[in-house]
Amino acid sequence: MRQDYDVVIIGSGAAGGMAAYVLCKAGVKCLMLEAGPMLDMQRHRSFKAVYDLPYRGFNKPGRFPHITQASEFDANLWIDEKANPYSYPENDPYYWVRIRMVGGKTLRWGRASWRLSDFEFKCKDHDGFGENWPLGLEDLARFYDRVEPLFRVSGRNEGWPQMPDGKITLDESRDSTSIQRFKAAAAKLGVPTTKPRRATGTLASSVNLLLPEALATGNLTIVPNAIVREIGMDAATGRVNAVHFLDRRNKREYSVPAKVLMLGASTLESTRLMFNSRSRLFPNGLGNSSGVLGHYLFDQFYVKNTVVAIVPEARGGKGDRTLMGGAGYIPRFRNLKGKEKNFIRGYAYDFGSGGTPSPELLPAYGGEMMKMMDELQGAAFSMTTMGEGLPRYENKVSIHPTLKDDWGIPCLHIEQTYTENEFNMAKDAMETGAAACEGAGFEVLAKHSEMVPPGESIHEVGTCRMGADPKKSVLNGWNQAHDVKNLFVLDGSAFVSGGAQNPTLTILALTMRASEYLIDQKKKGQI
Amino acid sequence: MKRRTIFKSLAGVAALSPATMAQTPAGSNAPTPDDVFKIDLTTADAVADPRHKFLTPQQYATLARLCDLLGPAYNGKPSAKQAEAPQFLDFLLAQSPADRQMLYAQGLDQLDIDARSRRGKGFADLSDAEAGELMAPLRAKWTWKAPTEPLARFLRAAKLDVLRATLNSKVYAEAGAGSRRAAGVNTYWDVVE
Repeated sequence: MRQDYDVVIIGSGAAGGMAAYVLCKAGVKCLMLEAGPMLDMQRHRSFKAVYDLPYRGFNKPGRFPHITQASEFDANLWIDEKANPYSYPENDPYYWVRIRMVGGKTLRWGRASWRLSDFEFKCKDHDGFGENWPLGLEDLARFYDRVEPLFRVSGRNEGWPQMPDGKITLDESRDSTSIQRFKAAAAKLGVPTTKPRRATGTLASSVNLLLPEALATGNLTIVPNAIVREIGMDAATGRVNAVHFLDRRNKREYSVPAKVLMLGASTLESTRLMFNSRSRLFPNGLGNSSGVLGHYLFDQFYVKNTVVAIVPEARGGKGDRTLMGGAGYIPRFRNLKGKEKNFIRGYAYDFGSGGTPSPELLPAYGGEMMKMMDELQGAAFSMTTMGEGLPRYENKVSIHPTLKDDWGIPCLHIEQTYTENEFNMAKDAMETGAAACEGAGFEVLAKHSEMVPPGESIHEVGTCRMGADPKKSVLNGWNQAHDVKNLFVLDGSAFVSGGAQNPTLTILALTMRASEYLIDQKKKGQI
Repeated sequence: MKRRTIFKSLAGVAALSPATMAQTPAGSNAPTPDDVFKIDLTTADAVADPRHKFLTPQQYATLARLCDLLGPAYNGKPSAKQAEAPQFLDFLLAQSPADRQMLYAQGLDQLDIDARSRRGKGFADLSDAEAGELMAPLRAKWTWKAPTEPLARFLRAAKLDVLRATLNSKVYAEAGAGSRRAAGVNTYWDVVE
């Protein structure tokens, strides 16, 4: 006889992994459905020289038109774009970057772990744009407090309101001279600087930090290769009652009963699934009485290497470890006390010292260029901008009328563009970054404000947002669907605004909070 | 059970097979059917010349000359030609999307047309100084947006491709004294079925 599960979890990344971690430890029997296979770190991984790869490190041409992060070494980790297509308007490309494996994108995340602040949670109160979240930092802080030690987050607590302090391992490492000079120059411009704040360790993923403990309880069952096609509804109760999925490998169809559904398939996959789960009760998508589902898609825009500079004293191989090396972060500093620029909200930077500038930046070729590269080896200083994209109704996803994936499941059409607010922000970031570098005595080699296409930052959020008002949002403040009480949507789709911070830490904290809420509600017999 | 343990178990069972025992000369080092095998292999690149697949002979000659200019031998390291960058790029282009193929085909044609109109000979026959006039766009200040002029756009792409094809070649790695870094050794992920 088959096991009877209390909760079905879809997805095994940050959201699904954390839901399993919390629920299973509380004695809740969970079934986790993951669309991709399980990665075997011993069997699937080996060392290879780049010249031994079939395409000499160039990657198979055309294999990843939208995944710029994929190298020929890790190409097999990223989703097959041909089997999993999507569309966008002809002149507005969207780069949807996906991983389908047990662990999801936590197998490859950058691990930057910043809390959101009340500049994000209460954003409308600050500048009148958009909506406030139905919760504040005060509500989420105690969950951040527990997630950060779990992921061994390291960094600095500075006491700045836009960068809330955390329960982190303090990074007391000494800055190189070039970093010290940059920090001093930035301070003169009123630009705050700090150490990076990152989850540490070699992997820091759902597969090694969350799922093993959940499995150890005996309460978690994971089914890989389970592509969920549709969520079933009981029209009489208005509740989710089943999950219908296919085996990725042979397309055999299955159904499993669901008393409670925790959906964490990733921002756009969760919304796609809700759209594909139309019923008489919800003809416009599951839980979509508001009509908001699919809307308010946003992310952080990235300007990669917005400034690349040379530390003059490091030329000619003189950049030893005292002078060069290390990295840092600049949190949002614009518009904290009212509107001071030709845009609202703000941006952050990552910066780093060391390395050699890309040959494309050098105005030379052949032997002359190689001589330059020798001269500049280890002498570079670079900055990348991460700016807050605004959640706008017109940035949205919908189901394509005809396009289907290899499993016959309707695909997404994605529409997102940046506006003057983001463009103005990017220009300000370029000029401010360059000024700080020049103030430090660095030579600015190149600067620009061209952002990567929407989606490329892999920080896509929104489309199934939270809110206090069921007419303006899909979820309540507990990630629970306003319309369907036994449905929780846990991933980045729930975001109302995003700031310039990487979203994973907040997804983890929100999921921990939602999962404990579910446990509490079950105890009270509310669900 | 780990794979290694399974293998040992299987090997143990097989060792008891009378047929196996009968075929193994006692006290000899001759291999048995149960031995773990390790066969040394080599790559096609090491034993054969790749066939040209995409560029015309004229375009290929232009690319080969361009590779000489973009990737000369430097500081004891092999050149793009020694790294067989032209052959590799021809192969890569044959499988590339149409826009990339067009960028290269038109760019190489343009270089040759410009060479003939200015110097009365093909690009492949130009001296370094003569070719340098046509490659002036590579001395321009870098901009994030690709140049609008097609030849400049092509040259910018070729500069990086030739360099990468050279640095990622086996001869280049061998010239780096066999260090892991020089060979670009990294973690490779197999297909996960």
